[in-house]
Amino acid sequence: MNEQELIQSVIGKLVAQGVIKGGGNTGVVASSAPACSRVAEGCDLDPVTLSPIDEVKVDNPKNMAALEAMRKSTPARIFMGRCGARQRTHSFLHFQADHAAAVDAVFLDVSGKCLEENGLFDVQTVVRDKDEYLMNPERGKQISDESQKTLLEKCTRGVQVQIIVVDGLSSTAIEANIADTVPALVQGLKAEGIGVGAPFFIRYGRVGVMDEVGELLNPDVVVELIGERPGLITAESMSAYMVYKPHRGTMEADRTIISNIHKGGTPPAEAGAHMATVVKQMMDFKASGVALSKAMKG
Amino acid sequence: MADGSKISTHDAAHITPPEGAGAGEVVISVGIDIGTTTTQCVISRLTVKNTAPGTLVPRMEITDKEVVYRSDIHFTPITGANLVDTEAVFGLINGEFRKAGVQPTRIDTGAVIITGETAKKENARSISGELAGYAGDFVVATAGGKLESVIAGRGSGAADYSRRHFLTVANIDIGGGTANIGVFKSGKAIDSCCLNVGGRLLRVDGETGRVVQVTEPMTWVLEDLGFSLAEGTSVDPMTLEIICRRMATVVLNALKETPPSGLEAALMMTDPLRLDYKVDAVMISGGVADHAYTTSPCDTIGEIARYGDIGPMLGRQVRQVFTGDGVELIRPTETIRATVIGAGAQTVDVSGSTIVVSDERLPMKNVPVVIPFGREIPGTPGAIAEAIGQSLSNLYEAGALEPLAIGIQGNGYLSYARVQSLAKGILEGVEPLIRAGHPVVVVMEHDSGKVLGQSLRVLNPSAQVICVDQIEVNEGDYIDIGRSIAGGTVVPVVIKTLVFETRQA
Repeated sequence: MNEQELIQSVIGKLVAQGVIKGGGNTGVVASSAPACSRVAEGCDLDPVTLSPIDEVKVDNPKNMAALEAMRKSTPARIFMGRCGARQRTHSFLHFQADHAAAVDAVFLDVSGKCLEENGLFDVQTVVRDKDEYLMNPERGKQISDESQKTLLEKCTRGVQVQIIVVDGLSSTAIEANIADTVPALVQGLKAEGIGVGAPFFIRYGRVGVMDEVGELLNPDVVVELIGERPGLITAESMSAYMVYKPHRGTMEADRTIISNIHKGGTPPAEAGAHMATVVKQMMDFKASGVALSKAMKG
Repeated sequence: MADGSKISTHDAAHITPPEGAGAGEVVISVGIDIGTTTTQCVISRLTVKNTAPGTLVPRMEITDKEVVYRSDIHFTPITGANLVDTEAVFGLINGEFRKAGVQPTRIDTGAVIITGETAKKENARSISGELAGYAGDFVVATAGGKLESVIAGRGSGAADYSRRHFLTVANIDIGGGTANIGVFKSGKAIDSCCLNVGGRLLRVDGETGRVVQVTEPMTWVLEDLGFSLAEGTSVDPMTLEIICRRMATVVLNALKETPPSGLEAALMMTDPLRLDYKVDAVMISGGVADHAYTTSPCDTIGEIARYGDIGPMLGRQVRQVFTGDGVELIRPTETIRATVIGAGAQTVDVSGSTIVVSDERLPMKNVPVVIPFGREIPGTPGAIAEAIGQSLSNLYEAGALEPLAIGIQGNGYLSYARVQSLAKGILEGVEPLIRAGHPVVVVMEHDSGKVLGQSLRVLNPSAQVICVDQIEVNEGDYIDIGRSIAGGTVVPVVIKTLVFETRQA
């Protein structure tokens, strides 16, 4: 009650001083009040829908076509408009939504349903939960004893190519892309006459876990599909790390990488097809990473 | 040699840029323009390079276009019967190649284009055919007002200007026999037309001031003005000024009124412009353009008819009529050479960098493009096959099959499952073509050429597959696909678009 009085008295003062107009602004206050109270009552309204983030929100542009063409050229948040010196509610809500998606991508697990649909069995690193995973990156590179046993039971040692799927920092990326990337990669490798072992999933894994897989199963090439650290543009971006004969001493320079695999980047199925070509090169030159580039230059 | 090319294949397909990343691959492209008045050729170097950062899938693009040789501008040799003198044209081109120090065998790609009035003449087709065989492996032979307008607008710099300034720019290329209008919106050709207006429709002897030749379209202009002008009679500058002003007005009206009427309609050689857009600026190119942008004297008969025609006066009148109407005239980067430079340097593009091609079947020339379905790909292989079968039977009689390219439009997301279904449908639909020994040619806009190509090969290992991506095509286009370059990662592509995407039904 005091609050209402205070608001009214402030508005009254402002109107008296001519800072704001009486009629219009009190109207805004009045009309926004019911909206607040409805939310407070918790009635189930439809969720808020926002216009797309790539819509140009600049007021009175001199050349709208130019702004639209520039906006299309980048996923970055440009031409979002502004309200005084601040961002608009539209930008702010999009920012929050994308930030939430990024947080979810890190903290959620890849679902059992996804693994089942893609015919992947799962193993785990020595990490026990997400907190430990985030706090202690080194542990995400070691496969647990139990999982090592599982792998030795279920996998064939010494295959030409071992595909592994790792959650990394985005479970969302794995769920969004592997159904397209893995079969395209397998098809491409088979077309090249390259043998492929049964793909599997590693929970709580970091990039370096592929080195342990190399030690354990001794394939010629390990292809690791791993969720990238999510950003505000997409939480669905996946990378492929590929190493010829990975082992505990593998250097970062030995890893060949294709990044930015998602619907808005390199299309996942096309990336799989392209990776088959790269793997073929690794097998031919018996090298990967910087060494592969050097070998190919002769 | 074989080993060398194999290594470069590996290298270029790898994620890091090809060796000596700064260098890129150089493609020699030639353009030859045989017009109503002049014949010229240019030789350009196109540099193809991987522009993607190291951790991304390679993206090969033409990064540099440099014109390395511009020929002299020759009068087109015409024999008595108004036919192009094939032998003399060959002589000219031969001489220019010698001067440029370029072996015809070194030429990778390019275009011969027969333009203006010359395109009407009977032997134009055979010339282009013979030249195509002569100059390199992959030279296009083509003509026609609509395409010419687009090529001229690219060569003059109008397309680039519209792209850089996000404007709609009309390029008007005025030559001896025709005026080609190409309209570009933010770099993209959206409309074009061709008018029978040119500087050599009336030929005048500069020394005697007598009329040498009155062409048929000129008789219409004279009729419209109520003039009579017989060959052999003398003509004064004032009359020529009035004639040229009328022709310039015809050109201006083509940008203002549709459909045209009267003289405007009579001189319109193609469909008129749609004009469902606003033209922000105009650029004039072609031989007449030099006189539209300069103020060289053009008052006496000797000055007007310095080339034996009325081109200089037409140029001056175009400037006066357009600026008088408040139109902004932009200076082109090329004037008389716009078309030939457009033909030599601007027609060739490269495909996406993750593709599947059976090189032994390339190059392929003049392959008709069909669009069996719209931007929505049908849900089942059966429906896809049926749509393709329909396109096939629309184009060819049974038993008389020629190669065709299946164009797939749209840039939406294609899952692996959709790609598989698409591959099955395509193979089923083009089965008669495969049986006739033709390759499966797919040209798609989606960046999914490699996975689709691999799927086609896996499903039918005996079929030859040419599957290129990131190319926009439309129904009725013709496409030329060259042998792969840059170590097998991309193919040069020329799309001869005769209709425009935004054309209304």
